[in-house]
Amino acid sequence: MKSLKYIWRNVTRNKLRTILTVLSVSFSLALMTVLHGYIAMQSVWGTEAKKNNRVVVMNIQGFSGAVPIANVDKVRGVEGVKSAVPYSWYGGDYKEERMPFAQFATDPKEVFNVWDEFSIDPDQLTAWQTDRQGCVVDRQLAEKRGWNIGDRIPIQGTFLPLNLDLKLCGVFDAPKYTDSLWFHWQYLDEGLKQMNSFGSGNSGTIFAKAHSAAAIPGIVETIDSMFASSQNPTRTQTEAAFAQMFADMLGDIQAYIRYISLAVVFALSLVAANGMAMSMRERTTEVAVLKAIGFPRSRVLKMVLGEACLIAVFGGILGIALGCFVLQFLHGISSQFFPIGMADLAGPWLLYLLAIAAGIGIVSGIVPAVRAAQLSVIDGLRRVV
Amino acid sequence: MIPAKYNLRNLRVRWVTTLMTVVATGLVVWATVLAFGLTDSLEYALRISGHPLDLIVLRKGSADETGSGMDQQIAREIATLSGIATGAEGQPLCSIEFATILTKPRRGDGGTTNLIVRGLDEVGRQLRPDFKIVRGRDVKPGLNEAITSERMAQRFENLAIGEKLEINRVDFQIVGYFEAGGSSAESEVWTVLGDLTGARRQSGAVSSVNLRARDPASKETLMNRIQDDEQFNLKVIEETKYFEEQMSASIAIKFVGYVIAAFLTFGAMFAAANTMYAAVASRSREIGTLRALGFRRRSILTSFLLESIFLCLMGGLLGCLATLPFIGLSGGTANWATFSEITFSFRFGPGVLLRGVLMALVMGLLGGLFPAVRAIRMDIVQALREQ
Repeated sequence: MKSLKYIWRNVTRNKLRTILTVLSVSFSLALMTVLHGYIAMQSVWGTEAKKNNRVVVMNIQGFSGAVPIANVDKVRGVEGVKSAVPYSWYGGDYKEERMPFAQFATDPKEVFNVWDEFSIDPDQLTAWQTDRQGCVVDRQLAEKRGWNIGDRIPIQGTFLPLNLDLKLCGVFDAPKYTDSLWFHWQYLDEGLKQMNSFGSGNSGTIFAKAHSAAAIPGIVETIDSMFASSQNPTRTQTEAAFAQMFADMLGDIQAYIRYISLAVVFALSLVAANGMAMSMRERTTEVAVLKAIGFPRSRVLKMVLGEACLIAVFGGILGIALGCFVLQFLHGISSQFFPIGMADLAGPWLLYLLAIAAGIGIVSGIVPAVRAAQLSVIDGLRRVV
Repeated sequence: MIPAKYNLRNLRVRWVTTLMTVVATGLVVWATVLAFGLTDSLEYALRISGHPLDLIVLRKGSADETGSGMDQQIAREIATLSGIATGAEGQPLCSIEFATILTKPRRGDGGTTNLIVRGLDEVGRQLRPDFKIVRGRDVKPGLNEAITSERMAQRFENLAIGEKLEINRVDFQIVGYFEAGGSSAESEVWTVLGDLTGARRQSGAVSSVNLRARDPASKETLMNRIQDDEQFNLKVIEETKYFEEQMSASIAIKFVGYVIAAFLTFGAMFAAANTMYAAVASRSREIGTLRALGFRRRSILTSFLLESIFLCLMGGLLGCLATLPFIGLSGGTANWATFSEITFSFRFGPGVLLRGVLMALVMGLLGGLFPAVRAIRMDIVQALREQ
């Protein structure tokens, strides 16, 4: 590490060039951070869901198919199931906004047993359970919207021909932001029945909490075989697999993001290599002197590689920081498209990006470094004019 | 003016650096054009799906067909309204349709996604742009047959000719592939109205009515007539507007495209600046000579700017050319308005390519500006004295 000072001096020698290379690397890595952050957003729910031992029951045909409400009680009776609730996506509009957050019709008596990692004030929970038109929301959502307990929240149905007039009874805390509002399934169903509309008697999906992870395969098997020959066969999967379905919907986008990232990494390697090659060309004589006074090849090689890496990692750190800032900013302006903030998003993928930056450094330094190491002392010295 | 040949020769002499910069900017432009092409292709598919005289009738309050539903009696009543265009055999161009969403697996490891299956009768085909069967044959009523596009057959399990798509335990045999001018209909599976509602055990169900007005004036009258009828309780949307609203889903992708373009332009700009600074530094004697010969500062500035722009433009054109193999390639993603898969063929319209070239121009201009300024700020005597 004695060479560190030498490397640092070299890095700062042509400040302009170093700054330009660092900026080039950092802007591109900021972009990669944003793109990968977007992909990571899709899998946060799935990763989180693995811990919670929940299964989701849906109609085998997909979301357009019904899961009769009577199935909820049957699922509750399955061995290994701690609790189960209907969970029906409502997809309504709030004021002039189209589906600005998610609304689910569920069973207030049991829902906090299924999501037992969520917490709510017991008084607020009781208030909600006794008020048929009551609802509870994620604390962050309430704060963002400026809602207070007792506020009325009108929601217009789009998928279902029924408008809701809800009253906020409480807020719940979730480990990760859910962007959700929960209201009485009964309220929805009675409204639909009165209108004689389709969709009544449908629990949408059923979320069930298992006693343990080990019980899940058995539960899935039991539930699906129980309804296999009914009018509405079901497909039961873990919450993680259910979440994966939504990530899969993005389709080819993930592949395109990968292509783009690959192109960016390759372009960056060229840019950094270019900068490094220009620096080394100017320093031919110096390298020859170093070798003349006895620096071994390996050390010269390491010093050049070290310089390239230092520049790239510097750019990487700057870029990742900028990318995180942009992601947080995007989350702030549109939680619909960027549902998860940086606090919940940070993970090993950031380190992976940093490793990519270091990799770019090594790749970009390799040709100039090998050249410097193999430089013949006499030729190098002769270049002095 | 300094002849452009001077710059070209300089680029050639330093060909390794030139090549690296060109390839780097090319890659960056390629990535951006790809991202813009994606939105462009998506929007194209949705845009051409709407005919200016077509109307879509939905249940009041619903946002799209998949969440809509109405009484079949009322749907039939709409078909009798006046002002609807007539087809070749005199029948009104008014199609009663039922659309449903099924969750089905993609081929390969693509996971599952949602798929729109539409039940409609003969007349609905005339309401789609350039509908034609390209392989196999069209469906026959009562036989539980279905047709789809070739693109969908490649993307989804059980959608190739001869395969069977299961809908509520009823097997629908795929008998043909159709084309509909590249519109969003090509992202759907079509079968006969009665067969689909039968399989879904929703006999008589209708989700929407598609119709074509005779002329713009009767379109207005029809819209008012249906909208104002209390008994109907329906809403009418112009088809062009209906699909325009679905484009909102692609706004996110479009936005991502601009984010990509902005970041990469900056990134590549610094790279170009680096190359140009080196070019200026290694040519200070030449610059001094040029000045001594009497070339104006302005012409030296232009010369270096041109060199930088040319460098980046080469990359930009290379990047645009590199998207050629993608043309016609099919892709698919979620239409967040219906939560179902929408497929498209890649196309890179003039607007998209222009954006790519423009990006390269900006890179060259901004990246070359500061090095060029440094070149003209040089003191002649000092510059000539350089090694």
